[in-house]
Amino acid sequence: MLVKVAWRLFWRELRNGELWVIGFALVLAVLTVVSLSGITDSVRSALMQRSANFTAADKVLRSSAPFQQEIFSKATELGLQSARQLQFNTMVFAGETMQLVNVKAVSAEYPLRGLLQLETPAGIVNRLSAGHIYLEARLAQILNVRSGDWLDVGAARLPVGGLIIEEPDAPLNLFGGQPRLLMHIDDVAATEVIQPGSRISYRYMFAGSDNALQALTKATEAALSPNDRWQQLDRQSAVGSALDRAEQFLLLAGLLGIVLAAAAAAVAANRYSQRHQMAVAVIKALGVTSAQARRIYFSHLLFVTVAASLLGLLLGLAANWAVQGLLGRWIEGYQAIFSMKAAWLGIATALICSLLFSLRPVWRLTAVPAIQVLRQQQRQWQLDHWQLLSGSVAVLTLMWLFSGDLWLSGMLFLACAGFGLCLLGFAALLVRVAKPMAAGQSSALKLALANLRRRLWQNSFQLMTFSLALFLTLVLYFLRAELLEQWKQQVPQDAPNQFLVNMTAPESAAIGAQLRDAGLSPGLFYPMISGRVLAVNGETLQEPEQEDGAVARNQTQAKTAGEKTEPPEPAKRQGFGRELNLTWLTDLPANNQLTAGHWFSGTAEVSVEQQQAERLALKLGDSLSFAIGGQTFEAKVTSFRKVDWNSLQPNFFMILSPDLMAAFPATYLTAFHLPKDQQPFLTALLKQYPTVSVISVDAILQQVTQIIDQVSLALTLILVLVFTAAVLVLVAQVQATVEQREQELAILRTLGARGRFLQQAVLFEFAALGLLAGVFATLLAEVLLAVVQQRLFQLPFALHYSLWGLGPAAGVALLTLLGTLLLRGILKPTPASLIRRALHS
Amino acid sequence: MSVTPELFIQTRQLCKQVSLPGNTLNILTDINLTINRGDSVAIVGASGSGKSTLLGLLAGLDVPSSGEIVLAGQRIDHLSDDARAALRARSVGFVFQSFLLLPALTALENVTLPAELAGQTQALERGKQLLELVGLDARMHFFPAQLSGGEQQRVAIARAFITQPAILFADEPSANLDSATGRKVEDLLFELNQSQGTTLVLVTHNPQLAARCQRQFQMDAGRLVEAVRHTQERSYAG
Repeated sequence: MLVKVAWRLFWRELRNGELWVIGFALVLAVLTVVSLSGITDSVRSALMQRSANFTAADKVLRSSAPFQQEIFSKATELGLQSARQLQFNTMVFAGETMQLVNVKAVSAEYPLRGLLQLETPAGIVNRLSAGHIYLEARLAQILNVRSGDWLDVGAARLPVGGLIIEEPDAPLNLFGGQPRLLMHIDDVAATEVIQPGSRISYRYMFAGSDNALQALTKATEAALSPNDRWQQLDRQSAVGSALDRAEQFLLLAGLLGIVLAAAAAAVAANRYSQRHQMAVAVIKALGVTSAQARRIYFSHLLFVTVAASLLGLLLGLAANWAVQGLLGRWIEGYQAIFSMKAAWLGIATALICSLLFSLRPVWRLTAVPAIQVLRQQQRQWQLDHWQLLSGSVAVLTLMWLFSGDLWLSGMLFLACAGFGLCLLGFAALLVRVAKPMAAGQSSALKLALANLRRRLWQNSFQLMTFSLALFLTLVLYFLRAELLEQWKQQVPQDAPNQFLVNMTAPESAAIGAQLRDAGLSPGLFYPMISGRVLAVNGETLQEPEQEDGAVARNQTQAKTAGEKTEPPEPAKRQGFGRELNLTWLTDLPANNQLTAGHWFSGTAEVSVEQQQAERLALKLGDSLSFAIGGQTFEAKVTSFRKVDWNSLQPNFFMILSPDLMAAFPATYLTAFHLPKDQQPFLTALLKQYPTVSVISVDAILQQVTQIIDQVSLALTLILVLVFTAAVLVLVAQVQATVEQREQELAILRTLGARGRFLQQAVLFEFAALGLLAGVFATLLAEVLLAVVQQRLFQLPFALHYSLWGLGPAAGVALLTLLGTLLLRGILKPTPASLIRRALHS
Repeated sequence: MSVTPELFIQTRQLCKQVSLPGNTLNILTDINLTINRGDSVAIVGASGSGKSTLLGLLAGLDVPSSGEIVLAGQRIDHLSDDARAALRARSVGFVFQSFLLLPALTALENVTLPAELAGQTQALERGKQLLELVGLDARMHFFPAQLSGGEQQRVAIARAFITQPAILFADEPSANLDSATGRKVEDLLFELNQSQGTTLVLVTHNPQLAARCQRQFQMDAGRLVEAVRHTQERSYAG
């Protein structure tokens, strides 16, 4: 019977609004958590999958030691696919012609991700076969060989099987390097190249689920030496950095959205409980015990929580599904991921919001004594310390749950609490001084200001929540716009997508002229040469143990490709262990910024990239010894530079003064943007200069653009969610005053106040509240934007002039609209019906 | 304390105090009262004299600061909230000044609510009969907001009788109604009380309503004095 009564009351109560607000707030919170968690996971997975295409595997372990079979066995045991790869440099001979090449020897499973395309006499094939070698087109040109010709590789003589058209993990060799040769790993033994002491890079390649890959990483920890490195996504790359910022933004926005939604649920639960005091007293007078009353009203909360969780979960999963669909359309071979983590987080959020925000008001409700039926007036509930405590615990728990970072959560919580208290104080002060402002105003305005002052505590609290809701929406709106703008600046429409390398000085001049004639804008032509840093102030640098030159070179090359290997632990004065690409320039490049010292003013000077300077513990005035070929020279460190690695422009660790390099032969490098329709021009240019190589980074740019599009979509979604949560708080707050306003309006109407007069008074009251809330929100938003921009996102601060117009205007418009809409029901009726309704409320 | 069989309500040395900052307010002082089964009793007095407080204590809605209360043969002053709730569900009906119908329920649902909460079967049938008895069978599916004040109080009276209580407590049952409607509601209350054989305790300002009861008590500054006692049953028609 009790269940029947509870169920009937629940359905009837749905008409009264508060349960909808609680439910909608919970749906929003769950939707925010599930969709955000899912979208960030999807974007991360998409990025990883794209990166995997560039590394031919999901995860690669690089080692200088021979393969350990146990690691492959463990991978098989974990259900992972695996492949082997060796890289080494050796000489190849085609008759009398010889060339130093970089050999990549792979097992039959290669590649595990991405596409291998080999042009053979039989057509394009995607797998290489043992007994053949495949050459980079440049190498075939240098050696003047074709398919079917025989080459000597070490001790082995092998036929050319074809040319490499596309190789997923081909290095973006901006700086020339050795031409490449691909062969089957089974043929390596016959070459007899691998001898004790040979510099070989061994690569374990794996593909499979994240969990299995993580398990493999953990399982192999003990078996790896300090020189074995797992290849990881570079967090400093343009893509990694964009994703990091997006994650931080989404995390922040998501947290705020959830807190707003939870606040709306709390306000609605309070109103629900406040309105039902008499109903509880009545049923208790009729013989219902406190436990039974709890069962009835908690069941309402339970129904709402369960229904809202399910709906939020479904909507969140639908949003994830839509995002996965978009990713699948954008990324070829994209494998959709659906993690249960998002669903569990969503359910946990609903439970925390429901239990810690709404349980306390409902508990207080069921504790209303039966004797209340004999009291004519309902008790106005004061702020309950337990509710404040449980709400605070809920906010903190949600922040922790969502961010996984207790310190960040604690700081954010304290900041929010501080903001709230300041706002409350300011609001109380302002509302208090509103009385003198009413003097000399029209009577409707006077009444509005009197109302504000009379409901001082209530209005101060409302003003605080209105301001916070507006403030969060404004902050997110402006941060979103700024982030997107910054990303777009990083990857502008005309970002360089082609790199020309291996140009001689005369070629660079001629090519530069042709590019300009074709309407293209090449950047600087950087002279370039490979050299080593030998010593600092005469102290010889310690050479780190390393795999081989090819691997080390790849680390530099990968800087632009968006991936790198983790650097070894820094040791004192440890050298690079490889040759560096050195350049010399008269002027400081545009995307470089001096952090110390001065640009070249004399001779024999060097400018060092800041992080490398720190790594080598350099000071201004130190002397660096360089070796190029067989020649050595000294240069004095006169400046340190900060380099924008996200700029997609060629960057250098060491820039030398031009006087030092005059005697050395150099090749040139430049970058430029090539529109798609001008591809034929580039083909013709390369035919004209066969020794010049072109590296296209279109695919990377496309990846960055797609990620930005994806993140932009997520940002818009989260902004909409936060705005909706903010509106929900406003609705809940206005709803909470309906009964009190109804009674006051009934009295005023009875005393003869005209409907239009009362409508104007309410309009003024909400406009005044909106204006105050808008000004507070704008002020706080400007302060927080400055802090977040500079500390969290490392963006430069600039005053937001449009914010100062938008904030107050949005406050007035939104609150006036909401107030008028939500109160229209009590502003229009006749005095008689108002009085009747006031009696029933 | 021994209870005489015909006694239905008995209090001894009943006191109610409320602690205020700095002092203690005595709302009821040494109330000694006996009410027999089937009696109709009016408690009259000025506003703030303690009438409603006494009603709350007699009905088991509240507990006294000291003294004893016996209701329907059971001492209730030391009972727990739940035990008093169970006693109310079994034996007590209420009619309130401001009706106190649940706005989310229809007239019929309001009437059947106490019976449903008590787990009684046949609640629906009896609810319909009672609404017919109070003349609202045509409006049984109306919500309170769709009914006039008089109609709402008639629904409240029907609700009070649905569990066939042994005693009915009424707090200013006609105070919120115009005199004609109030009169009709009072008639209905007394008619049902008589036909159901219920003991009636009502609190009122209205001397005419009080005069229709067999016994009248005057509350003055927290003390109770019996003002009128009719040995014979009063005419419920007034």
